[in-house]
Amino acid sequence: MKPKVAFFDFTGCEGCQLDALNLDAQDLIDLLNGIDIVNFREVMTERSDNYEIAFVEGSITTEGEIERVKRIREQAKIVVALGACACIGGVNCLKNHVPMEEALRIVYGKDAKYYNTIPARPADAVIKVDYYVRGCPPSTSELVKVIKALLLNKKPDIPNYPVCVECKKAGNICVYEKGQTCLGPVTRAGCNAICITSGRYCWGCRGLVDEPNIQSQKDILNKYGLTAEQVIEKFKIYDTCSEVLK
Amino acid sequence: MNESSVLVIESDPIVRESLSGWLSSTGFEVTSAEDGAKIIKVFAKSDFNIVIMDVRLHSETQLATLREMKAIRPWIKTIIITSHPQEETVLEAKKIGVVDYIVKPVDMDDLQKIIQGTVESICRGNLTDDNTSFETSGDDLVPGIKKSFAISRENLSLMVENLLKEIEVVGVKAKQGKYIYDRIYGFYELSLDYDVTVSPPTRYMFPPKETLLKFKTGNGNYVEPVIEYTPRVIIGVHPYDIKAIELLDEVFMNHNPDPNYIARRENTVIIGVDCLHPSPRSFAPSMGTNWTETGFDLLLTDIGNSYIVKIGTEKGAELLAKHTKYRLPTGDEIVRQKKVRGEALNRYKIALDTPKDRIPKILEESYDDPYWENRSATCLSCGSCIMVCPTCYCFDVKDEMALNLKEGERFRRWDGCMLVDFAKVASGENFRKDKASRFRHRMFRKGKYILERYGKVGCVGCGRCSSACLAGIASPLEAFNSLAENIRLKEAATSVIQAAKPARDIYTPEMAEILSVRQLTEKEKVFELKLKSGKKLGHYPGQFVTVSIMGTGEAPLSISSSPLRGKNFQLAVRNMGDLTSALHSLEAGATVGIRGPFGNGFPLETLEGRDLLLIAGGIGLFPLRSLIQYVMDRRYDYGKVSLLYGCRTPAERVFTDELDFWQNSKEIDFHETVDVPCEGWTGNVGVITNLIDKVDIDPKKTMVAVVGPPVMYKFVIEKLKKRDLPDAHVFLSLERKMKCGVGKCGHCQINGIYTCQEGPVFSLTQLRSLREAVL
Repeated sequence: MKPKVAFFDFTGCEGCQLDALNLDAQDLIDLLNGIDIVNFREVMTERSDNYEIAFVEGSITTEGEIERVKRIREQAKIVVALGACACIGGVNCLKNHVPMEEALRIVYGKDAKYYNTIPARPADAVIKVDYYVRGCPPSTSELVKVIKALLLNKKPDIPNYPVCVECKKAGNICVYEKGQTCLGPVTRAGCNAICITSGRYCWGCRGLVDEPNIQSQKDILNKYGLTAEQVIEKFKIYDTCSEVLK
Repeated sequence: MNESSVLVIESDPIVRESLSGWLSSTGFEVTSAEDGAKIIKVFAKSDFNIVIMDVRLHSETQLATLREMKAIRPWIKTIIITSHPQEETVLEAKKIGVVDYIVKPVDMDDLQKIIQGTVESICRGNLTDDNTSFETSGDDLVPGIKKSFAISRENLSLMVENLLKEIEVVGVKAKQGKYIYDRIYGFYELSLDYDVTVSPPTRYMFPPKETLLKFKTGNGNYVEPVIEYTPRVIIGVHPYDIKAIELLDEVFMNHNPDPNYIARRENTVIIGVDCLHPSPRSFAPSMGTNWTETGFDLLLTDIGNSYIVKIGTEKGAELLAKHTKYRLPTGDEIVRQKKVRGEALNRYKIALDTPKDRIPKILEESYDDPYWENRSATCLSCGSCIMVCPTCYCFDVKDEMALNLKEGERFRRWDGCMLVDFAKVASGENFRKDKASRFRHRMFRKGKYILERYGKVGCVGCGRCSSACLAGIASPLEAFNSLAENIRLKEAATSVIQAAKPARDIYTPEMAEILSVRQLTEKEKVFELKLKSGKKLGHYPGQFVTVSIMGTGEAPLSISSSPLRGKNFQLAVRNMGDLTSALHSLEAGATVGIRGPFGNGFPLETLEGRDLLLIAGGIGLFPLRSLIQYVMDRRYDYGKVSLLYGCRTPAERVFTDELDFWQNSKEIDFHETVDVPCEGWTGNVGVITNLIDKVDIDPKKTMVAVVGPPVMYKFVIEKLKKRDLPDAHVFLSLERKMKCGVGKCGHCQINGIYTCQEGPVFSLTQLRSLREAVL
């Protein structure tokens, strides 16, 4: 009996779902041999509320979403957070830095009165989450890795060490040595340091490792010329939400 | 390098002096020392051609010193002097490469003959009995192991281009201002004159990730080993990395031979190149890894227009014969190789303060040292240090299934002891769960465990970890030096207890007369005093006394004058408490009580002969002035002397007449600044650290003395570290509440030590393990 899998979206750009099934044909067939997708708004019309595994994409930003994600939790045996918004709050949390009325006014202008919103938060601020597929967006291979681990009933191989490990393995020259700054030393690896390898730096989209040395990271950013405000600015792009809500 | 520089190591001062005197008069450049172990540090920094050493009976330590010296400078010629020639000792010495021995009492004619013969052999470049030898003789052009030839740059290029036609070639390339190993497609891509690569070449033998097994489950199940390798030549490997590869060979090719590693290793040709421009963070000579005689197929030394190429294996010999043209080196080329190697050695900026053989013992004694916790506080557990380490080889093993959930592979990937989950088991228990224990474990592997298990050094001193560590804590050199210093301090403390005898009543002051009083600023005066007994105070620069005014009390005050300037001494004093206020009200002719001098001043022996950088903030100039005066009085004993002085406002400048004098003096490079200028101030404005940028610093030669408010130290240290100054070269005077001055009352204690005894002047190395020192 193949497990029934459903995908649900909350507040976000839906890019994670779009990327999720960006597999080549044989892999897609192999995948569908292993699971039964019963609910996936972006790619199919059928909807079923009979599922065991639920993938939840996006962060939670309204009272209504809280109720909805709770109902999903009640139905599913396993809930997987898909992408940075669901895992750590993601870019939606930028709005948490201003009062909610102000956020509504900026976004909706004079129509603000028709809308409601609450501070953005990751799925696990509302419900228990069993697995995480991290990144903005997550790589298809990581999603597949998590699905395989679920099917094999084992812990997915997602490292609990910082991006630096994979960056050094890739043979990169450290971003700091080039006079720039980077969140690699506290951000969870698993991305093969793709941003740094491609000539950028780490924004922290995969969230923190279990025991980040935040103070030391802040000191280092400081030493390399970022002011306290700039440090906060840099941290907030993906991460502040989980930090604030903890 | 002078062809006739001689180092004399002799414990008997009479023999030492007469020998040195005679050698100097015969035209040699002589350096002498009483103890071999102490000389290793000097030896690593300055070059000698000949060492004459007194070796006592059965002295393992002395033989160890000899071995150490040979490792640092293989071409050194050693002559030993001994009073009891024992066959074993002599044989052992010969094995190490000693040229000859002389029996005491020394016959100067014999010695002269031996030395002359040795000098001539050096001039001829005939290095027959040491391991940098050229065994090529006459017309022997057949390449063979251990032989050395000369090869032009064009012919090296020819060799590489020919190799490229038949095998993958990896070499050192420049990238974004750094160097990396990467596949090359033409000789022009190579940068053989590099300092260090970002990542070591060991990844070509032991890749970051590799498949070990392929398997299928269910119907038709199987498990098959996977061994993948690409035959390859690696060109440009430095000796320290060759030593690291030799360690990996030991680990993977001996006990439980590893088929994957062996396949790659046996299909790898290593063309090494001597490291002539080392990274400022490298300390390879201290670890004995700056030269190598083994572990390569070919080894190149860049001697200008051509290379000396040494053959290490049959494979190397074949490759050379097949792919290029070479010839016998000329005498001049052999001399040049020695010269460039000697110059390279002088370019290393940092060194161990202790022989490397002592590291395991130092670590063993330091297992519970607060250093581990203190220094690892800022550790990010990011693994950068272990991922760039050429001697790290730990790994993790995982299974990865294909999407069909039937086939899969088992792979291994680099892992390491600095990562949080490295020692964590399924139950959740983590056997090395705190940063300090992981930090300590890594240092123990580098300095002790690997050496004891495999007989090879676990740290080759490449300096990559200290470059990669953003927190700045990863250098094993710093750990080994700090811990060695702690042990020295502990030993010193024990010997004080044994030597102490109740001499006088330690709490009764001696009376002194105020000879003169001079107002320096609104709040500061300088007092000139003289002990009523007529005795000299007998202090060292940096020490302090306690001053008593009976009825008011007693307070510690630093001495502001040089001990070389007569029997009087000066105390410069800011009016800030009961005692200083009472003192300020006294005039010439008044009597005060004095106890002391107390504590440790500046380490005069260590400073001698060095460039000095003296830094004073505010009234930090008061204690520092004693050293400045001392140095100026013996100016010829020091190299370049720079003095930096900063205070808050121009009105707070003290000893303005002397500041003006230093400003105009050619003997001292003086810079000053104020934080807040006043009208008419034309000098520098800003913090004192800005002044450091104005000074040329050779970190190897420069010693720094800093006195100022605590807040200044943090920034000054940061700046000095940016200029590559080793901890052991930086001395700071700490202020603490001192009452008794004799290490009893406890007020001045910083962790386990007493500022009034071990301080107030400390080296930065000492302070690294004192958590309360807060730097």
